[in-house]
Amino acid sequence: MITDKELDFVREALEMARRFGAQKARATLSKSEEDLVATLDGEVDRVTHCADRSLNLALFVDGRFGTYSTNKLDAVSLEGFIERAVATTRMVSEDVFRDLPDPARCCRDALTGDELGLVDAVRERRSPADRQQIALDASVLFSSRSGQLPPGTSFGPHRFAVPPLTMPRVARFPEAVPAAEKTDNSGPGLPWSNHYEDEGKDFQIVSEEGEYSDSIYETVVMDTNGVCCRHRETSFDYGVEITVESGGDKYSGYWWDACSHAAGLDAPACGRRALERAVAQIGSAPAPSGRYTAVIDAEMAAKLVSPLLRALSAYSIQQNNSFLMDSLGQQVFPEGLTILDLPRIPGQTCSKYFDSEGVTTVEAPIIERGVVKEYFVNTYMANKMQIAPTIEDATRPKVLPWPEAGLDRAAILQRCGSGILVTDFNGGNSNPVTGDFSYGIEGFLFEEGRIVRPVSGMLMTGNLLGLWSRLLAAGDDARPCQTKLIPTLAFAEVDFSG
Amino acid sequence: MSHCERFGITEEQLRALVAEGLSAGGDWCDLYFEDTSYHDLLLRDGVVGSGGYHVDFGCGVRVLKGEKTGYAYAESTDFASLRAAARAAGSIANAAIAAPLRGSPGLKTSDCVGPLPLPSAAGPSLLRSRGRLRFSDPTAASTPHAMASFYSELTPWEDAEVAGFVPFLQRIEGGIRARDSRVLKVVAVLSYSVSDILMYNSLGELTADHRPLGSLSVQVIFRQGNRTENNTVSRSLRMGAEMISDAVLEDLVSRAVAGMDARFEARRPKGGQMSVVMGAGASGILLHEAMGHAFEADFNRKGQSIFSDKMGKQICRPGINILDDGTLPASRGALNVDDEGVPGQKTYMVTDGRLTSYLHDRISAAWYGVAPTGNGRRESFRYNPIPRMRATYMESGPDGTREDLIASVRKGIYVDQFANGQVKIGEGDFTFFVKSGFLIEKGRLTMPIKDINIIGNGPQALADIQGVAGDLKIDEGTWTCGKEQSAAVSCGIPSVLIGRLTVGGE
Repeated sequence: MITDKELDFVREALEMARRFGAQKARATLSKSEEDLVATLDGEVDRVTHCADRSLNLALFVDGRFGTYSTNKLDAVSLEGFIERAVATTRMVSEDVFRDLPDPARCCRDALTGDELGLVDAVRERRSPADRQQIALDASVLFSSRSGQLPPGTSFGPHRFAVPPLTMPRVARFPEAVPAAEKTDNSGPGLPWSNHYEDEGKDFQIVSEEGEYSDSIYETVVMDTNGVCCRHRETSFDYGVEITVESGGDKYSGYWWDACSHAAGLDAPACGRRALERAVAQIGSAPAPSGRYTAVIDAEMAAKLVSPLLRALSAYSIQQNNSFLMDSLGQQVFPEGLTILDLPRIPGQTCSKYFDSEGVTTVEAPIIERGVVKEYFVNTYMANKMQIAPTIEDATRPKVLPWPEAGLDRAAILQRCGSGILVTDFNGGNSNPVTGDFSYGIEGFLFEEGRIVRPVSGMLMTGNLLGLWSRLLAAGDDARPCQTKLIPTLAFAEVDFSG
Repeated sequence: MSHCERFGITEEQLRALVAEGLSAGGDWCDLYFEDTSYHDLLLRDGVVGSGGYHVDFGCGVRVLKGEKTGYAYAESTDFASLRAAARAAGSIANAAIAAPLRGSPGLKTSDCVGPLPLPSAAGPSLLRSRGRLRFSDPTAASTPHAMASFYSELTPWEDAEVAGFVPFLQRIEGGIRARDSRVLKVVAVLSYSVSDILMYNSLGELTADHRPLGSLSVQVIFRQGNRTENNTVSRSLRMGAEMISDAVLEDLVSRAVAGMDARFEARRPKGGQMSVVMGAGASGILLHEAMGHAFEADFNRKGQSIFSDKMGKQICRPGINILDDGTLPASRGALNVDDEGVPGQKTYMVTDGRLTSYLHDRISAAWYGVAPTGNGRRESFRYNPIPRMRATYMESGPDGTREDLIASVRKGIYVDQFANGQVKIGEGDFTFFVKSGFLIEKGRLTMPIKDINIIGNGPQALADIQGVAGDLKIDEGTWTCGKEQSAAVSCGIPSVLIGRLTVGGE
């Protein structure tokens, strides 16, 4: 995607910055292309073609610093842009800690951008018609109308919440009825059977919105110290939200999948899963306020890990804006918590050889058996705090299983006995200074390891340090499509309000 | 420089591009040219040591076939690139299942010479104001800046020197440190953007807008004994560099240090359902999350919103009026024209307690057979417009003062500072995160509280509004709505009493 001519253009931009008075500079050229097909109720609703490119410059001028970007990439515009950027940088105050990273720390093995094997040539061969067909085939309603539902298809989330295809009662989409009636809903035994299975909830699908896209992204980072590193990655994505109505109330379910290779995307499964999630919430209501064991579904568990990673950023530490101040080398978390950064695994979505400064990424423990092993320290913060630089952020953090490998959500529910399974968060936030959090949730009440009923309209409140100190289990079921590989988590004694 | 010159395009080429977009059988085509420069300046540790600016330039082409959308854009406005984008967008005519699902009247242009009908509240006279220009009007090309404007721009940002803003940020830090010895760290950020927009559509309407937006935000870390707390305040206005004033500085400084004694004493309340008095101003987040999104017409057109079958029905007590307004002078949510070229206007969503209007873009307006309400907005030329809020607020009510509402509550909480919110459109379940407030016990404010989420259900919360004070206040913080795309918005509300919401706690 990025041509040799464009690489020369980036070099010229760095040279231009020097000519106008910058002592050092970093230039990042990013390009991307994306084709998207959105469906509404089983029909193509929107097609979009995007092609972006942007040049970002970090300029170091007489001890001063500025960042600039433009997508006007003709030579004449660029010259005026850089001249003005250098002049603007001279207007800010001196900051002696700003500098490029030591070249010895920078990435030398990302020469073509393809080293991680994250580009699938299939994308180049995809036609608009291919994309529309993929989007339509993934649609539950389109498949239902066109008789594509395979025998045995079941929409039951855990085969408890959805009775044998109540979709025939869909009034708004009567054409879905015959195909749906043909399906054979005899399935295997019910892992979590309960009274919901017997009640047989009626529902109708009121809306299905799906979005298929494939894209390619490439970036190159160069600086005046001679650093040059590239990264290329394709992505095939599908997301769908289905809204159902039952008893006058509406319930929505969302699911998505993504992979750098086309073969790794299972788009049709997303529609089924989204429908399962919507229908599973039919009849949900708050559980009584109280203290419960909380099991957090892997799909959502990153919400409880992201604040930890932010608190370990040197920007947060230096500004006293972190609840993990002075935690480096300390046993702050229980032994059960280990988070590794695994940035360089070939073929894995979001792997990357370098950060935005061009510094090479390395496999490293962030938290090991509860001990904080790493702050995220870029060049600026290292100079400012007089500590060794590391990497500016976690690239692909992974929470390791605990207390044993191989646990999935069902096994963790069995292990925990009773409590609340959180399958979605609805808003909320955490205080970066204190770690106090409060999140809206929906999910299920479970007893003896089995789902009892759906819950919603509840809040989960506490302190992140306290929550993690009561870690009961970390599963082995992180979704590979996510940037952060966070599995199902379980915590004891969590406050829920309903 | 005329708007066409800025983008290097001629009137003839605009027409040719629309023709290209419609050549595959589309019903409607519009072009959205944008030239935006975004600047920022950051103070940290007493040093204004980082600044920059960012240029975004390009044109988006949208083609509609019924309600189906084709969209593409080019980051260059050379004719060949634009024509390729128009052709790509026009492919929707081939892709779409041609028959509209539910008998929509659709947006038609080929046999329509006039503009779409405007809401009666706005009136047809607006057609020639606020930047709406027609090629057929010989005076048009020379008048884009003479339009009525809801933005103040006495000193254009482009004419201001960045160096002049450095001492202003330093004065903010100095003012904050002078007022509270517990201040540990101050981060202050000035950001401002200027967007020049040119829109053309298959009705032949040419519309231009020039949009300034300035924002200041300040984060302060306080230390008292071994405890640390933070506070963040902001101000955002659609105005020029005259925003950099002593009045704005004083406002930010005073709010940055206000209430910190209580913040250090604050605790979590016991969670559960209780009455909530929401203070005037920022509590408008309630309207944005609990109602505003559910009133956006795309969610209703698709049957997803919990309010999709409630048009014309009584949804809260008589006397309550809730509106979305693009005409508040200098408001972050103000729009002279929306991003489809529809004039900025004031839209009553709830009138005397009845649901009277959704918020429409052109697609939903055509589907419902009503005029668009000026809510078609987009983050940039990279995005197709969708219905979005502007400044959303409730008019003042008859129930006295904030103190009167508090006095009427036996047990509950009072809240007045917020961080963020969210809503599930179908279920109507909304949440917002409260940064600070107080317990209410026997009609009096008692223990300070902080860092709690509140959850409720939109229709229930509306029905549960038991009191509306007469103290409407529009909040001028840096509110940004994240529905698919980012959009600058504002919100406001008088003090209100809601009979029952669920409050997070221990």
